Amino acid sequence: MALDPRIRINLERSAILVVDDNPSALEVQASMLRGFGVRRQLKCGSAAEAQHYVASQELDLIIIDAAMPDMDGYDFVRWLRREAPEDKRYTPVLILTGHAARGMVEKSRDCGANFVITRPFTPEVLLQRIFWVAKDERQVVVADSYVGPDRRFQNIGAPLGQKGRRKDDLSTHVGAATDPNMDQMDIDMLLKPQRASL
Amino acid sequence: MSDAQFVKVRYKLTEKVAQAGGMTAGMAGERAGRELKAQREEAQRSLGTMLGALEVMNRERTAQPTAVYDAATQMVDIAGLFDMKMFCDAAYSLSELTDRLRNHGRQDWPSIGVHINALRLIWTKDEDASEEVKAMVDGLWALTDRALEKPPAA
Repeated sequence: MALDPRIRINLERSAILVVDDNPSALEVQASMLRGFGVRRQLKCGSAAEAQHYVASQELDLIIIDAAMPDMDGYDFVRWLRREAPEDKRYTPVLILTGHAARGMVEKSRDCGANFVITRPFTPEVLLQRIFWVAKDERQVVVADSYVGPDRRFQNIGAPLGQKGRRKDDLSTHVGAATDPNMDQMDIDMLLKPQRASL
Repeated sequence: MSDAQFVKVRYKLTEKVAQAGGMTAGMAGERAGRELKAQREEAQRSLGTMLGALEVMNRERTAQPTAVYDAATQMVDIAGLFDMKMFCDAAYSLSELTDRLRNHGRQDWPSIGVHINALRLIWTKDEDASEEVKAMVDGLWALTDRALEKPPAA
């Protein structure tokens, strides 16, 4: 769903780090952010430099290319979520991907980024994802095999026959309803405050 | 295996984005579009140079599939920032083709050559999304989908 063009968004005071090993792509992304009104942009060409920025700067968002030599974008996010200074670990991250090589699909799913943006994309799509991050209310999951925003956008409970891992997961499978649905008047009566007789 | 923990996080970005001032999403999109337009010519030149390098690889036929893959994905990366859908789709097909070939230890220069020629044509037409171009890109995908059906070259 496209972002409503009337929505106001203020990125003037946000500090955004952009990481891409391709200088032309880096410049293009920076120019989009300039258009969005971002005044404080930090740019670098490698994940190693980005690690330095994470340690030394206050960042509100990181936008990183997935495919880079040495440490790629996915490995950077894994590092960020597990080994970065504790107060920086959950800094939101958008990953930009081009071609999704077969070997990278699981890595992408498991790295812990907030959102993945697939090229080609328009400035509107980038702005929308930034807005999604700002409105992202998902909890961060910290587990042995994954650290990052909950990948389940809807909590529909644990898979059938399995014990849920969330505190609020039901402890048993409830099954399909057997009684007919209550009508609205019955529901209203249940919720209606009534004088208690003691 | 230890239990998963759930941590509630409030991003600083959330507060900053909601502060007074800023601009509408429509205005931000327009401004970013203008910034991009100013860079499109340079990107187009850069894509031309990358295509030139691929044409040399195709002539010499000594490069490894990974080298072709890297060049193709770089083109997706640049063209993708300018929403050049046809060029991107064709470069994506070449990326997919070379990814499959390298995963099976194979090489298929004729199929790679067809992709490079098509990319040059789309590049020359500067993102012409006509039915002919769409049909050509569909043809590239058909080639990619059948790439591993052919017996490996002796």
